[in-house]
Amino acid sequence: MTDVKTYLREWAMPHVLCPGCAHGIVLRSFLNAVDQLQIDQDKLAMVAGIGCSSRLVGYVDFCTLHGTHGRAPAFATGLKLARPDLKVVVVTGDGDALAIGGNHLIHAARRNIDITVLLLNNSIYGMTGGQAAPTTPEGALASTTPAGNTEPNFDACKLLMGAGASFVARVLAANPMDMTKVMADGLDHPGFSFIEVISDCPEYFGRYNKVGGGAEMLTWMSVRDEGVAGPLAEKRFVNHIPIESVPSGMETGVLQREIRPVYAGVRKVEDHES
Amino acid sequence: MSEGSQGLLLAGVGGQGVILASMIVADALMRAGHDVKQSEVHGMAQRGGSVFSHIRWGERVDSPLVPLGSAEVLAAFEWAEAVRWVEYVRDGGAVVADVRTIVPPGACNDHRSWLRRYPGIDGELFDSRHLKTRLIDATATAEELGNVRAANSVILGTVAAFIDIDNKHWEAAIAHLVPKGTEEINLAAFRIGRDVAEARVPQTAPDPEGFSGPHQIEINHVWCKGCDICSRVCPEYCLAVDVDGKLTIIDAEACTGCKLCEALCPDFAIEISAPREPAVVGNQAAADGSTL
Amino acid sequence: MSQAQLIQGNEACVKGALAAGCRFYGGYPITPSSEIAEQMVRLLPDLGGVFIQMEDEIASLASVIGASLAGSKAMTATSGPGFSLMQEHIGYAAMTEVPCVVVNVMRGGPSTGLPTSPSQGDVMQARWGTHGDHPAIVLAPSSVAEVFDVTVKAFNLAERFRTPVIILYDEIIGHTRESVVLPDSIEVVDRVQPTDAPADFWPMIAPDDGVPPLPAFGDGYRFHVTGLAHDERGFPTNDAQVAEALVARLHNKIDAHLDEVIEVDTYMVDDAEIAVFAYGIVGRSAREAVMRARDNGIKAGLIRPVTLWPFPYEQVAEVAAQVDTILVAEMNLGQIIGEVERAAAGKAEIKGYLRADGEPITPTALLEAITPDKEGQR
Repeated sequence: MTDVKTYLREWAMPHVLCPGCAHGIVLRSFLNAVDQLQIDQDKLAMVAGIGCSSRLVGYVDFCTLHGTHGRAPAFATGLKLARPDLKVVVVTGDGDALAIGGNHLIHAARRNIDITVLLLNNSIYGMTGGQAAPTTPEGALASTTPAGNTEPNFDACKLLMGAGASFVARVLAANPMDMTKVMADGLDHPGFSFIEVISDCPEYFGRYNKVGGGAEMLTWMSVRDEGVAGPLAEKRFVNHIPIESVPSGMETGVLQREIRPVYAGVRKVEDHES
Repeated sequence: MSEGSQGLLLAGVGGQGVILASMIVADALMRAGHDVKQSEVHGMAQRGGSVFSHIRWGERVDSPLVPLGSAEVLAAFEWAEAVRWVEYVRDGGAVVADVRTIVPPGACNDHRSWLRRYPGIDGELFDSRHLKTRLIDATATAEELGNVRAANSVILGTVAAFIDIDNKHWEAAIAHLVPKGTEEINLAAFRIGRDVAEARVPQTAPDPEGFSGPHQIEINHVWCKGCDICSRVCPEYCLAVDVDGKLTIIDAEACTGCKLCEALCPDFAIEISAPREPAVVGNQAAADGSTL
Repeated sequence: MSQAQLIQGNEACVKGALAAGCRFYGGYPITPSSEIAEQMVRLLPDLGGVFIQMEDEIASLASVIGASLAGSKAMTATSGPGFSLMQEHIGYAAMTEVPCVVVNVMRGGPSTGLPTSPSQGDVMQARWGTHGDHPAIVLAPSSVAEVFDVTVKAFNLAERFRTPVIILYDEIIGHTRESVVLPDSIEVVDRVQPTDAPADFWPMIAPDDGVPPLPAFGDGYRFHVTGLAHDERGFPTNDAQVAEALVARLHNKIDAHLDEVIEVDTYMVDDAEIAVFAYGIVGRSAREAVMRARDNGIKAGLIRPVTLWPFPYEQVAEVAAQVDTILVAEMNLGQIIGEVERAAAGKAEIKGYLRADGEPITPTALLEAITPDKEGQR
C-alpha cells in the first residue's frame, strides 16, 4: 500500500478546514480507495463546486477543477464526455449538491454519466458561517434558523435513487474502512455512482446544536446509523453525547446497485435511419 | 463423556474464516466415518473479535464442547488466540499457531504495560506441558501462493498431521467447501502446511525476545490542528492534546498499531509505522516435543 | 474555390465552428439559437465530437468548460435569458482562462421579452454581465458569410488568449438564408502547450505575452484550476498583490494585442460629414442608407465594428475627428452609444437612432435620419 500522502499536494498543506472537521478523514479514505484500485494519478480528475468539501480538491495531486457553486456535475459531464479515458470524481457538499446544484446532480444521475459523486453531508453551510441547508434536520439550529429549522430535510440517497442513479451508497465519516470499501466499489461501478458521506461540522452544527467537537460528532453520527454498524458505533469512546438530540436513524451501506447502459453520447443520424 | 472421542479447537479473529475452516475439519472427519459435533462462536462475532469453534469426533459424540485440557489439537489462526485457548489442549497435545498478530481496536483497553497487553510470541510458553508446537507464518505462505485467503488451509495442513484420518478425506473436504475457483490454491496451501509438520521443514520461529515493541507514532505538528479526535479514539490512551492545543504522545510504549488515530485524523497529521524491529525473526528447525 | 451555398446564419456559425476545430457542443434549447444545436448534433458525431443537451444554460457552459479543460475546442449557443444564466461561467472561464466560445443570438428583452424578434439588447451584458473586472472579447457579425468568419476568429482568439469569446448576432442574421461562398482553407489557432516537464509545471506562469500554456487534463500534467484568486501555482490566495497581478494580467494579455482582436469595417468615411455607427444587422441597413445618401449628395459614411469589445476607441476617435456628426444606430435604448461618446470625446456630435420594439432598423429610416431637414437639421 502506498502512503496516501503521495496523493497529496503536500506543499499546499495544511488544509483550510476547521479542527475536527471530518472532511479530511473522508479524503484520506478516498485516497486509500484510489490506491487500492491503483488508479493512474494522471488519469484521475476531481471536480468540485463551492463550499468546505469542495476545497478538498485543492490538496490532491490529480487534475483538479474547483468550479462554481453547485455546478460540479455539469463540469464533470463535459470533462468525462470529452475525455472518456479519465476517471472523474465530483466532490460536493450538501448545500452545493442539493440546493443550488440539485438540478445538475439529478440529471447527471439520470443520464448515468460514468462519474463518481462524493457528497459530504455536514447538515449545514459551513463556509458561509452555519446557515441552514436542505439537509439540516427539522428542529436543528443554524444561523438562519435561530429558533430551530422548520423545513423538512432531503434524504440525498432517496433523491438520487429516484433520479435513477445506478449506484447509491451512504457511509459515515466515523467508519474510515467502510468508507474506503464503498468508495472503491463506487469508483469501480460502471455508470453514475453516488456516495453520501455523513460528515460533520463541529464549528457550526456541533456548536449551535451542542453536539460538541469532532470526536463527539463522529460518535453522534455513529449512533444515527441503523445499518452497518461500524467499530466506532460500539466503542462509545466519547461520553456525554446528548442522545436525545440524535435525529432518526439512516440506513448506511450500498443502497442501490444496478447495471444499466452508461451514457455514451448521442446516436448518429445514419445509425437511426439505417 | 462420549466414547473414544477426541477434541479439536479452532480459534482466530473475526473475518479470518475460522468458521469455514472448522466446517472443513468437520467434513473431513465425517468423510472418515466419525461421528462429529461442531460448535461455533459463543459470544460476539464482530470483525476483529475473538472467534472460536469446538469440534469433537469419535464413534459417538454427545456434546460438541471440548473440555478444558482435553483437546488433541489447538489450531490458532492468530497468535493471541493461541495463548488465549492453549489451556484447552491436553498435555502432550499439539498447538498449531499462525504467528501473525491482529490487534483489534479497543481489544486491550484494560492493560497498561506492553507485555501484558499483547502476548509475546514465545514458544516456551507451551514448554512445560510438552506440547507439540508448530508456529507458522501462514499468511506469508499464502501470499507467496498468490491468495492471502488460503492461509487457513496452510494451518489445516499442519493440523491434519496430528489427526489420524486419511489425507484424501482432507483434500475432498477442502475441494468441497472452499469458494469455487480457489480449490487448487487451497489444496496447494494445505500440502505446504502438511509438509511443515511431517517433513519438518524449517519453520518461522518466534523472536526469543518476544514481541519487539510498540508501533512508532509520528505527529506532523504543522498540519495538526489539535482537534482532539485522535486522543479520544486511541484505545491505549497514547495521545493527548495539552493545554496549548498541541498534540503530544503521553504513552509511546502503549501503541498497538491499530491506526485508528491515523485513519480518523482529518489533517493527515499522524503516521503509525510498524515496530522498528520485525516481530518475527529467523527460521529454526523444530521437532516434536522440542521447546523451540 | 468552394461553391456558393444557401445557408442560414446559425448554420454558418456551425460550419465556422467545425472548421475551426470545435469538437464539443453543450447547449440548451432557446429560440432563436436552437438551429445551432440541431445542426451540431447531426455533424459532430461523425467528426468524433461530442454533443450534449444539458439541463440548463448554466450547465451548458459548465460542460463546455469541462470539455475545454479536457483539450476539446468547445462552444455553446443561446439567447438573451439563457445568456443571463451563463454569466456565472463566463466569469469563471475568464478567471480560469479556459478557452470557449459562447454564441448569443439576441432577441427582444428584458426577460422572456420578444423571443422571435431581433434585438441588440445584450451588448452591455456581454461586456459587464458577469461580476468583477475581467476582459471580454465580443464579436458582432452582420451577414451570414461574416458569421462563418467571425466564428472561426472567435475560436482562434479563445485559444490564442485562453479566454471566453462571445459572438453576438441577432434573430435576423441567425435565421436569414444567404448565398455564401465559404473559404477553402482557414487559419486555425491552437492553445499553446507547456514545454516544461510535468514535475516543473506551474500552470499560471505566463510568458511575455501574458498567456500561460494549457495542457489538457489527462495528458500527464496535474494541476489545479480554480475561480478563486490564485497564484502562479494555480492555488488559491488572499494575497492582495498576487490577486492584483492576476487581474492585471488577464486584462493585459488582451489589451497588449488589440491589433489581433479589433476589427472595424469603415465605408466612405474619408470625406464624410456624418458617419453612421452601426453593428450587426443594423450595419447592413446603415451601409444601404449611406449609399443612398451619397446618391442624394449627402457626404455620409459608415463605421461598423466587428469587434464590439474591446471597444475600438482609437478607430472611433479617428472618425470622430473627421466628421461633424456620428449617428449611432442600435436596436436597444442606447447601450454602445455611451462608448462612442467616450471615444469621440466631444470632437463630433453624437446622435442616436435607437429602437427596442422588436422591429429592425430599416435603411429608409436611417436615410431619413441622416438627411438634413429644410433648416439643415438632422
